[in-house]
Amino acid sequence: MTVDLPTPRVGVLADRAPEAVRIVLNWGRRYSLWVFNFGLACCAIEFIAASMARHDFIRLGVIPFAPGPRQSDLMVVSGTVTDKMAPAIRRLYEQMPEPKYVISFGACSNSGGPYWDSYCVTKGVDQVIPVDVYVPGCPPRPEALLHGILTLQQQIAAERPGHARSRLRPRPFAPGPVGAGELTRDLVAKPDQPGAGEQRPSGRSPSEPQR
Amino acid sequence: MSVPPGLVTRDVPRQEWRAAAEQARAEGYDFFDWLSAVDQSDAEEDPGLDVVCHLMATGPDAPRPLARLLLRTRVPDGQPLASLTGLFAGAAWAERETHEMFGLPVDGFDDGTGAGLRPLLLPDGFEGTPLRKEFVLAARASKAWPGAKEPGEGEGSRPRRSSSRRRLLPPGVPDPSWGPR
Repeated sequence: MTVDLPTPRVGVLADRAPEAVRIVLNWGRRYSLWVFNFGLACCAIEFIAASMARHDFIRLGVIPFAPGPRQSDLMVVSGTVTDKMAPAIRRLYEQMPEPKYVISFGACSNSGGPYWDSYCVTKGVDQVIPVDVYVPGCPPRPEALLHGILTLQQQIAAERPGHARSRLRPRPFAPGPVGAGELTRDLVAKPDQPGAGEQRPSGRSPSEPQR
Repeated sequence: MSVPPGLVTRDVPRQEWRAAAEQARAEGYDFFDWLSAVDQSDAEEDPGLDVVCHLMATGPDAPRPLARLLLRTRVPDGQPLASLTGLFAGAAWAERETHEMFGLPVDGFDDGTGAGLRPLLLPDGFEGTPLRKEFVLAARASKAWPGAKEPGEGEGSRPRRSSSRRRLLPPGVPDPSWGPR
């Protein structure tokens, strides 16, 4: 038996909170960013290097052990986004709970990078999901990711809790938030007899990336 | 181009494609490595697709240990090619990919599902065969290449008009009829 719960939102209490409470909320958020690494290409190696002992972004409060997108606050898209992968990125982004932040790491996810004229590469992940911080480079050094994280933490410190996306009205990447039906899908069944063809997932696919 | 040791290339007519693969398998080339195509539609004579299949001999009856064989055939545009899926089951993915990337029709394709040749890698709703030379990259129509295309041009240097070199127009770049860039 499944229960269809609404997506958790930040309540009105955060709006009415006095300034000191807002500072504490932002302070807590900026130093516990559980990160979800959407590693797609070689930039993911630099992300891993940034998480290891030499650069060690855990000391900034970025924790790379989120079990999945539903438990993470920050998504780092590192690598070449293809048009085939773009719906999956959108689906996993929408599964993350609010407040959520996105760092686009590397030239490919910023703008398509060296593959800007390819037939199959999305020209920037910001066509699919909103991006807070862009880290340039091909691939960027781990220090660049550290600087991107610091920039994001400064942005979080300046925001009003519960209104992280208020500057994005109207949403440039999608007409509106998606419902639970688009974020879940049934298990893909194995084709049992010859002639059955390929089983397609029954859930409604997320919106196509805009070109 | 240097030929790796142990590599044999065999050009076969299109009608004997399947028979050549069967013969190669009988000779000991029992491992299907890959199958792809080269768009030779701008060739001077006999334009079409060069379909290439790489086989390897792994068994004890190999001509030499890990002998390699390139089967190659020239398929005129629009003509079908016999499928190798009955001979090598692993050819199904390669033939699906060649079909969607080059538009190569394959006769007798059977991968056990009965669903036939269907897209493998391209996103849903993609139109066209992107690895053909005639496929136009739409991004190039809206933005020119952001750098030097010819030796001698580039930032800081005056563009030199050298008439001795042919101006290059690589495959996929829209011709001037697409408008100014």
